[in-house]
Parts: sequence; C-alpha cells; structure tokens
Amino acid sequence: MDKRLRNALQQLTASDTESRRRAMEPFVRATFAMFIGHLHRYLGNEVECEDVLEDVYADIWENPDHLRNIEDDRQLLRTVYLYYMRKRLREVYRRLNRRSCLSQADMQNLMAPDLGLADLVSQEELKELLRTMLDKLKARERKAIELWMEGMSNRAIANQLETTVGAVKMLEFRTILKLREMLKEHCRESGGQA
Amino acid sequence: MGTVLIMANAHREIQELLADYAASLRDGSVPTFLKSLTKEEAKRIGESKDFWEATEIVRMMNSAGFGAKVVTPDVGLFISRVDAGIVSRMKKAQASTRDPSRSHVNLQ
Repeated sequence: MDKRLRNALQQLTASDTESRRRAMEPFVRATFAMFIGHLHRYLGNEVECEDVLEDVYADIWENPDHLRNIEDDRQLLRTVYLYYMRKRLREVYRRLNRRSCLSQADMQNLMAPDLGLADLVSQEELKELLRTMLDKLKARERKAIELWMEGMSNRAIANQLETTVGAVKMLEFRTILKLREMLKEHCRESGGQA
Repeated sequence: MGTVLIMANAHREIQELLADYAASLRDGSVPTFLKSLTKEEAKRIGESKDFWEATEIVRMMNSAGFGAKVVTPDVGLFISRVDAGIVSRMKKAQASTRDPSRSHVNLQ
C-alpha cells in the first residue's frame, strides 16, 4: 500500500473529528481513482458516481471504524464497498425503484450486489483477464464483444457482422455466459483469486 | 389466442433484457432501463439465473472498457465538495447536541 495512503488511513481513524476532517484530503487524493473506477462498474454514469462517492467519503469521515487495520488496497476497496458504497448505492436505487417493476431484492442485486468473482480485481488485471478470455472465443463472438466495448450500438454491431439486432443480442448473451464460465474456471484454477 | 401471442411478443426476451441492461450501464442510463421494464420482464429477470450470472461479466466489461476513462477534471474541487458535506454534518451534530438545552429553556 502507498505510504501516503497508509498515513492518511492512520489519521482518518483518529478520535477527534477535526483531525479526521484534515485527513480527508490526502485520503481522497490517494483513493479517488480507485473508488470512482469501482463505482463506475455499478452506475456507469460519472455524475452519479461523484454524487455517491461524495456521500461515501462523508460517511467514512463520520464512522471510520471499519477502516482500522487495513493491510492493502484490495482489502480497503472490499471494506469500503461492503460498508459504505453498498449502502449509498442501495439508497440511490431505492429511490429509482418507485417507478420500476423490479422487486426491491432484485433491484438490490442488480445495483449493489454481493462482491462477485472478479469485483476486486484492479483495472489492469481485469483488462488482462478479459483479454485472455476473449482470446479463447470464436472470431464472431470476440468481434461482437470487442465492438460493444468500443461503444458501438447493437445496430452498428449488427451492420458490421451483417446480421440482425436480435441475432446480435442473442450472440452477446451466449458469449457473456461463455465468458462467465471461463471466469469461474479461472477462479477455480487460481484458488478462488480472480 | 392471437391477442395472447401479441402480448407475449411485446415483452423482451431475457437476452434482449441483458443486452439492453448492458447498453444502459455502458451509456450511463440505467434509470431509463429500469423504467422501461414491464411487470412481465421484471419477473423474467427475477427468475433467470443466467441473467444474474451475466450481469457480473457485463460489469466487468464495462469496467475494463470504460472504467479507466472516468475522469474528474479537478479532484481539488471534488475534495471541497466532500469537505462542505463534512462541515454540514458537523453543524448538524452540534445543533442536535444543543437541542435538549433548548427544549429545557422552552419548558421553563
């Protein structure tokens, strides 16, 4: 763990509120990129991510007890997600659920789920893992996912692959399930660590 | 019978729902996706193990493809927002500790 972050964490768990307030700046600077990148997995919207993260930091300031004895970045991210981010994500989507047909439990699972197999993997590790998995796919499957990840619409992907939008959606669905199986396999081989 | 068939076709199949969810997550418009769900589709999602398993990969793809592109031009500005939130909470906490004495004064 970065020395700056370790120091910030130590000050953040001080008993008086003013010291904790002063510790927030180095803490935010050291963790912002990691936390907002993680929130983006669930929200996909930068403005929403910032709003949620603002509350998350204030919650941490108010009650930093869960952050005592943090050893590394992965443990920090896991703790912050489980004790601070999830609560805020649930609040956002509890509000949204007033106009949605999804049950409260399904909404929660969709927007603030339990940590999955690859949820604590860093951005770089994730890219590497995904690249390895994509290499194992058939050319057409791989093309569909890569085009999707470039930001293309399903209609544009359908044009590229010379097929229908419906066929693209089915192809994406099957390929995603295939990737999920590969991820499970990868986790089994690496002893539960994605 | 014909009406029933038309009604059934009006709802998206699970692969379409996943594709639409994935696109909404990627494009930052999940609320629109949520609002678009019919009761039947919501039920379909709730009952589909495949859908739930697939969402993890969708999040992973979203993160690998777009997570690193999330940038805030001025972290300093964000820090001042966080600080303002903290100050507001501090004031609230101070106000709530003053409340009992206020009510005591009022009672007299």
